[in-house]
Amino acid sequence: MVALKKEVVKAEEGEIFDVELSEDLLKANQRLAEENKQFLRNNGVRAIDVMGAIGSGKTSLIEKLVKLLKAKQRIAVFKGDLTTTIDAELIAKHGVETVAINTGKECHLDANLVRKALHRLDLKKINLLFIENVGNLICPAEFPLGSDKRVVVVSVTEGPFMVVKHPFIFMEADVVAINKVDLAEAMGVDIKQLEKDVKMINPRATVVATNCRTGEGMGDVAKALGL
Amino acid sequence: MHEFSVTSQIVRSVLDEAEKRGAKKVTEVHLVIGKLTFLGLEQVRFAFEALTKDTIMEGSKLVIEEQEGVVKCNHCGYEGGFKYEDDPLYHVPVPTLKCPKCDSVVKIVAGKECTIKSIKMMV
Repeated sequence: MVALKKEVVKAEEGEIFDVELSEDLLKANQRLAEENKQFLRNNGVRAIDVMGAIGSGKTSLIEKLVKLLKAKQRIAVFKGDLTTTIDAELIAKHGVETVAINTGKECHLDANLVRKALHRLDLKKINLLFIENVGNLICPAEFPLGSDKRVVVVSVTEGPFMVVKHPFIFMEADVVAINKVDLAEAMGVDIKQLEKDVKMINPRATVVATNCRTGEGMGDVAKALGL
Repeated sequence: MHEFSVTSQIVRSVLDEAEKRGAKKVTEVHLVIGKLTFLGLEQVRFAFEALTKDTIMEGSKLVIEEQEGVVKCNHCGYEGGFKYEDDPLYHVPVPTLKCPKCDSVVKIVAGKECTIKSIKMMV
C-alpha cells in the first residue's frame, strides 16, 4: 500500500486543492526486498536469484549446482512457476528442501511471495538458498527479491541477439551463464559474441559458458558466486 | 508490462487520499515515471481511463512526467545519462553500465521511479 511521505496542501484557484504525494509505487517491493535480505543475513543464509527466459536452463543449472554443492552447503530451493510443481519435484529429488511458489498469472516473483515462502523454511537448517524466478527476461528485472547475487541464464537456442535485446536484466546480473554451449555450432551462435555483449552492457558481470546437462562450467558458476 | 496492476494501485491511492479530504472530484493526477521501468505510457493512460470510470476521478487530467535514466560514476564523479553502444545491427542504441567519461562501472541513480507527484482535487 502507498503511504504518505511528504505532504503539502495549498489552496489553488478557489476550491481546488493541490496535494503533493511522493511515494514510489515500485518502492514498496524494494522495501520488502531489503527486509528479506536483512532477514536472510540475520539467519546466516545467502540467497541467489536465478533468472532467465523460459527453457533457458534455470532448473537444470540449480540441479547441477545442488549436486555439486550439497556435500558442503545446506541448501534449500524456491521454485517459481505460474503453475505445476514439476520442476520443484525435479529439484527435490536431490534431497534438498524445495518450496514451489506458484504465481498463478504473474510473470515474475516478487519480494512478498519470497517473504511468504521464507516462513515455510527452517532457516536454521540451511545456509544457501536458490530462488528460481519465473521464466521471463523482462519483469524480474523490475522486482528485486532480496537476494545477495543474481544469475541470468541465457541459452544459445534463444538466438544471437538475446543479450542486446534485454539490456536491463543483464544490468542486474552478477553472473551470466551462457547455456547449451554444445548446441552453439548447430545454432550458428557465437558464444564469444554473446559474452562480449554482456560485458558491453555490464562490465562487472562474470560470464561463464555452461552445459547444464553435463555439468560443464558449474564449478566456475559456483566460484563466481563465491560458493 | 504491469501497467494495469500498477495503475490500479495508483487509482486506489488517489481515491483514498481524495476520500480522506472529502473531495467531490479529482481534476488532475501528476505522475513521474522513470524511463528504466517497464511501464508503457500508452498502456498506463489506457488503464487509467478504464479504472477511473464511474469514480470521482473520471475525466481527470493525467499528467505523466518522464524521468530520464541517470547513472553515477564513483571513479570519476560523472553523473548524467547512460553511455550507449551503437551498432547498425541493433537499430536502437543499447544502454550500458559503462561510464561515458572513464569507462568504469556506474551505478543507476534515477530512472526507476513510479511516483504520484501530486493530485488536484475539488473539495
